[in-house]
Amino acid sequence: MKRFIQHEELARDSRFVRQQNVMTTVLASMPDDIDVVVETFDKFAPMIEESTRGTAAWPLFEKFGPAFALVTLNEPILAGQEGVEDRLKMRMHGIFAGELQALEGAGRSLWDFPDAPWEFKMNMARQCWDETRHVQIYEKLMDHVGVKAGDYPESTFLFECACSDDPAMRVAGVNRGLEGLACDVFRDLIRYAEDIGDETMKQAVDYVLADELTHVRFGSEWVKEFTKGDPDHFERTQEFRRTVDKQFSFGGSRSDREDAAIRIAWEDRLEAGFSEEELTELAAISGDGPSQKTMIAAAQILRERHQARKTSAAAEARA
Amino acid sequence: MSGDSPRMYPGAGPDERTTFDAYSAFDVPADLRELHGRYDVESTARRVRNFRYAEEWMMMIGGGWVATIPELPVKTGLGKIVWDDAQSADQLGHRLPELRCGKRSVSTSEAANEGLSAFIQEVAAPESPDLTIEKITGMFDVLKPHLLAVYDRMQRETDQISDAPTIEILDDIMRRTRKHIAWGDEVLDRLCDTDGKRERRRRRSVELREALEKCGGVTGEIADESPRLN
Repeated sequence: MKRFIQHEELARDSRFVRQQNVMTTVLASMPDDIDVVVETFDKFAPMIEESTRGTAAWPLFEKFGPAFALVTLNEPILAGQEGVEDRLKMRMHGIFAGELQALEGAGRSLWDFPDAPWEFKMNMARQCWDETRHVQIYEKLMDHVGVKAGDYPESTFLFECACSDDPAMRVAGVNRGLEGLACDVFRDLIRYAEDIGDETMKQAVDYVLADELTHVRFGSEWVKEFTKGDPDHFERTQEFRRTVDKQFSFGGSRSDREDAAIRIAWEDRLEAGFSEEELTELAAISGDGPSQKTMIAAAQILRERHQARKTSAAAEARA
Repeated sequence: MSGDSPRMYPGAGPDERTTFDAYSAFDVPADLRELHGRYDVESTARRVRNFRYAEEWMMMIGGGWVATIPELPVKTGLGKIVWDDAQSADQLGHRLPELRCGKRSVSTSEAANEGLSAFIQEVAAPESPDLTIEKITGMFDVLKPHLLAVYDRMQRETDQISDAPTIEILDDIMRRTRKHIAWGDEVLDRLCDTDGKRERRRRRSVELREALEKCGGVTGEIADESPRLN
């Protein structure tokens, strides 16, 4: 078995379809400009259409066009709001896929770095079991909210961004970038579960969040250990983590902005070993990008264009 | 102390004994263990390093395979087994300093010979997502049953009193290993649902058993160790 696999090589059963990661990468660097957002999504429309065809996201594509993610994934999950069920289902499915990739990332850290210190291997092995339970927990929670594995396209973006060939960067990407993002997402989900009085969801996600704090701590400790006595390596690792954090902010959707879909879980991250300086930096890095107002305006234009195209195509078909 | 009351502690004189009943350390409950086993301190330490080598590599291989296996319950099942194997390797490692191997020996693994290293790499070789049967067969039909047989024999033949800490560790590892073998068997029974797939399982198992016998197994002494392979 070779070492270091590509994200395309993650094995999945027949239920799953892939979503191209390029859209997520582009979204991470988009400016706060309605025209740019519209033109970018328009450019990727055929690709988005292809990856949603035959999935539970297809009706959303039919209704909203290529920017359906802007009105689902990039919007906050608020009790009683229109479309919240779809948002919750997509979010649950996205987390489930993220947990799968976190399991795969931890497992690959054992195989890819056979000469790593034993304590590192123990931490990664433990993380494998934790992520296994998270996959199982989210399969149950998906069932709880009425969505199944493979209902939506899977983006392997998290694995792609986080899995470096350098062990210090791997733990910076997976254990601090990805698991840090998980802290934010799960704190937000617990908030929603409390709002709707869903004790099952709240308790399960709270356990998962507790595990994630441990995984972030693994990352904090191993970044220091792997870069000990090598300040250049440490700085390159920090830079890699900044890049990952920027990509995982999805154009400001995960940030400390007032209009963010998911806010940074400051308290949880502090408990997990992030410093105040790192969190201040994260808030600055993740805050760039289109505002919610821009996203909504762009989504409206894209929806109108999509409907116009559909009407025109139907007219041509009749003629 | 008055002369009439029972003595609580022995004194120096022959009449200054306590009155407590005398038992052997093996009387209650009756304990039939005897001193002397097949392995001395050095050979037990070498075997523990051999066992640790196998457990550590199974942990790493399982970790690597998780991403390459499409069947979800196999992925998640392996995720737990990776942690179990890590604990087994860790327990074995902590026994090494107790066997005069030095403080730093806790993370020492040692292959019995080059053939065994090559065998482990052969177990790890299947990579493609359509090779779950070959992956699971190698580890759960061949390697783990072999280890269970060797652990079982070691547990019975080592000094039952002096080497009890190794026996206790093997107890834990064998309990987990039996569960792993049962899990692998269930997975393979489910996945091998055609004659062609059952033949793949059989062929892989035969090939690897031959390779294991050739290198002498986990300790390099298979002729003495593993009746299950014969």
